[in-house]
Amino acid sequence: MSDPIAQLIFLIIKAILLPVIIVMMVAFIIFFERKFAGFFQGRVGPTYLGPWGSFQSFGDIFKLLSKEDLIPDKADKPVFRMAPYLIFIPAFLVMAVLPFGPVGGEANLFGYRFDYVIANFDAALVLFLAVGAISVYGVVLAGWSSNSNFSLIGGLRAGAQMVSYELAMGFSVVGVMLMANSMSFVDIVNGQAGNFWNWYFIPQVVGGVIFFIATLAELNRTPFDLAEAEQELVAGYLTEYSGMRWGLFLFAEYVNMVVISAIMSTLYFGGWRAPLEVLDFIPGPIWLFIKIAAFIFLYMWIRWTIFRYRYNQLMSIGWKVLLPLSILNLAVTAVVIAIVG
Amino acid sequence: MPLLADAHGPDEAREEAPRPTLEELKARKARSRQPFEVGSEVITVSMGPQHPSMHGVYRAELDLDGEIIVDVRPEVGNLHRGVEKLCEERTYHQIIPITDRLDYIAGFAMNHGYCEAVEKLMDLEVPARGRYIRTIASELCRLSNHILWLGVHIMDLGTRTFFCICFRDREYVLDLLEMLTGARLTHSFARLGGVAKDLPDGFEHRCRKAIEFLPKRVAEYERIIKHNRIYYKRAKNVGIFTSEDCFAWRVTGPALRAAGVPRDLRKDDPYAAYDEVDFEVAVEYNADVYDRFLVRMKEIRESCKIIEQCLDNMPAGPFVARDITRTLPLKSDVMRDSASMIQDFYQVFKGPAVPKGEVYRATEAPKGEMGVYIRSEGAGRPARIRFTTPSFYHGQALPPLVRGEMVSDMVAIFASIDVVLGDCDR
Amino acid sequence: MPSRGEWEAIVTSWIVDPALVKQCGELEEHFGERLNERTEFRGEITYLVRPIDWYEVLRFCKETAGLAFDQLDCLLGDHLPERSSAPFEVVAHLVSHTYGRRLRVKTSLAEGEELASVTGLWPSAGFDERETWEMFGIVFAGHPNLRRLLTVEDFEGHPLRKDFPLAGIVGGRVRTDLRGKI
Repeated sequence: MSDPIAQLIFLIIKAILLPVIIVMMVAFIIFFERKFAGFFQGRVGPTYLGPWGSFQSFGDIFKLLSKEDLIPDKADKPVFRMAPYLIFIPAFLVMAVLPFGPVGGEANLFGYRFDYVIANFDAALVLFLAVGAISVYGVVLAGWSSNSNFSLIGGLRAGAQMVSYELAMGFSVVGVMLMANSMSFVDIVNGQAGNFWNWYFIPQVVGGVIFFIATLAELNRTPFDLAEAEQELVAGYLTEYSGMRWGLFLFAEYVNMVVISAIMSTLYFGGWRAPLEVLDFIPGPIWLFIKIAAFIFLYMWIRWTIFRYRYNQLMSIGWKVLLPLSILNLAVTAVVIAIVG
Repeated sequence: MPLLADAHGPDEAREEAPRPTLEELKARKARSRQPFEVGSEVITVSMGPQHPSMHGVYRAELDLDGEIIVDVRPEVGNLHRGVEKLCEERTYHQIIPITDRLDYIAGFAMNHGYCEAVEKLMDLEVPARGRYIRTIASELCRLSNHILWLGVHIMDLGTRTFFCICFRDREYVLDLLEMLTGARLTHSFARLGGVAKDLPDGFEHRCRKAIEFLPKRVAEYERIIKHNRIYYKRAKNVGIFTSEDCFAWRVTGPALRAAGVPRDLRKDDPYAAYDEVDFEVAVEYNADVYDRFLVRMKEIRESCKIIEQCLDNMPAGPFVARDITRTLPLKSDVMRDSASMIQDFYQVFKGPAVPKGEVYRATEAPKGEMGVYIRSEGAGRPARIRFTTPSFYHGQALPPLVRGEMVSDMVAIFASIDVVLGDCDR
Repeated sequence: MPSRGEWEAIVTSWIVDPALVKQCGELEEHFGERLNERTEFRGEITYLVRPIDWYEVLRFCKETAGLAFDQLDCLLGDHLPERSSAPFEVVAHLVSHTYGRRLRVKTSLAEGEELASVTGLWPSAGFDERETWEMFGIVFAGHPNLRRLLTVEDFEGHPLRKDFPLAGIVGGRVRTDLRGKI
């Protein structure tokens, strides 16, 4: 079998396997969220289905699938149906360019080169920022098409919030781009070769923190979950969605969470690289998985501890605090790199 | 870089800061109102009656200009059960379980207020032990109410974790109430002339453990929330309701005390054993959501003090007055001796002996002042009874409080005013 | 049952606060005979006024510095069918925070007679008066929003009147007319 055909077969396998793995991960992440919520709140989460309650998500999926598909009469039906997909399909797109293991020449499977990335794209960082913006469409269109005042307000709030924080996010990743001298995720991870002190979170600590906070806003998680603030707007842009469509939104949120955790670990924490070179024998994907899990736990921890900001305070943080700081970070990085070379 | 602690300076700085005058409070209120032009497009959103945060089935129709509330039209009455009409067909003893369902979070406080009114009408004196037990139960209800309020208020601001923690602590109080009265929520424990049962064995020990533990928990909550930057930004200078406004809109209780008026009916018009215990009235001067929080936390601590003093000084003697014409006999006697059985029958079906006249008695329920007006024609059933419940007026006071504020603030303010629909709609 | 003498002994043991009596002296001085009746029971003073004087008396109570009744604790209605000339009553409870005193002012109304609304003096009367209208049918002239408060909007009748049965007139019915509208 010649190399191109092998690469094609590997590509097909990776393209099928990666989404499946992510979907399975999301199912367990939803369960873990509920379990951690329980522990933070002094109670146990779900315990009924499966060992330690771990099959809860599957039970939920079956329940949601069996519910009636209610679409409000005056809602814009095609847009209503399409909106959830607009949120997570871009996330899968980004996963396609993220490396979860060594790329180029190192690994081999049955004698053929196996790249641990679906597409080694040169402008992967720009792709991430661009498709991240498409997720905003999903949220705003969900709110708009529901033809309900609550949903409209929720959708618009979410849209404005996500757009504002994307700016800060964009500026903070440019710092990483300057340090790695490339926009490709593969190069960024390769630039962090070595031990954990070579990772970019040390020189880019300000950028890292800003990126983390901005992603909290992108994911619509507390303290930035105004859009789905249960106490204020029933469920914001999700109000009119029921059954599996609502399940799709939840699924979309957690897929986004997985992808953004992966990106966070790729950009600042070395991606699939081990923290110490001696631990290199553990394969790359496992390290990436551990880092993704750590960030997901951090997102959950924050969600169940901190309460939310008022909307105008949230926007002022995004525009007046994070954006100037990220631009400053960029300027300092550029100057330092110019000096040090 | 202090992110969480001392967002506004240590406690001493806050206590020594000059108290704001009425004009200053009004200026702050005017400043915190967002400017808006009424000509622009206004969306009408109906918050409620089915709503996770509206404390029951309260409906508020908001006219929103973006995030800012242009107008509010409150609508109550979804939980109206016709309590006053029901009471006209019942004897004074039979009304006690109905009063439980008014403010169902603090059931005994409602019973207590009602019994105080009827005892004023009948001129019936409650023995000392009965008064002390009533005080303990009322204060336990106050604790239960304030801890629940705290959980709900913080949940409205965004985190469900705190709600679960508060409910966990409230379980201690509810367990005590269950031990004392037999029920967790609808106690029906007060009787005309005293209470239904004596303190059970082991109650004192358990109560002391609980009131030793609760102030420490409250100190922890205060520490988490009082100095939390996010809470400070969301609650300081939000929902200012000056004392003038409070008088005009009949807002009483913690909201009035947060506006600087030291009015507490337990001190001003004492009933039960409140004139024999020593406690402070919690007063704050800034009249915003933050101060209402502080007032309630202080009230929790004072309640624990009151309960402790009552347990220390608990007098011996009967826990209910014995008067053939006006009180129910003890259940243990009813089952054994025929005179008591006849008295029981007579009291429940014909009612106690009350003079003709009308009376109004207000007590300090956890949410505010609850008053009971009774007009009696000398029969065993009241001719007219009116429960003046705090939530009725607090629900009415929503428009002046939130006009001009943002939607998120409205939720915080409404939570701080403490409305429960059972209380409001009767 | 205690005898009549015993009841009288009980009633007179509740003495009204002399400061309150003095304050009410000021009220009586101003209005003189327009205050129809004054009763003292259990330490509370109640004044019966004519419906025409209702607003003026309450305004005097609120605005006079010596009386300063700044809070309207509650305003309620009452129905006494045995008194056929003036079966309805409106009772207002006033509280003075400055002095810490209470006062009750009542008025008797005939069927269909209107009463001036006191929402201009105390906005908290808004809901009270709405409820009184809803439950008794007493119209308050000048009230900005006299609609049903606690019962359904198309409820017929005034429930707290003594001739309205406890079980209601219509009884339990399924509101099929509201299907698709709520």
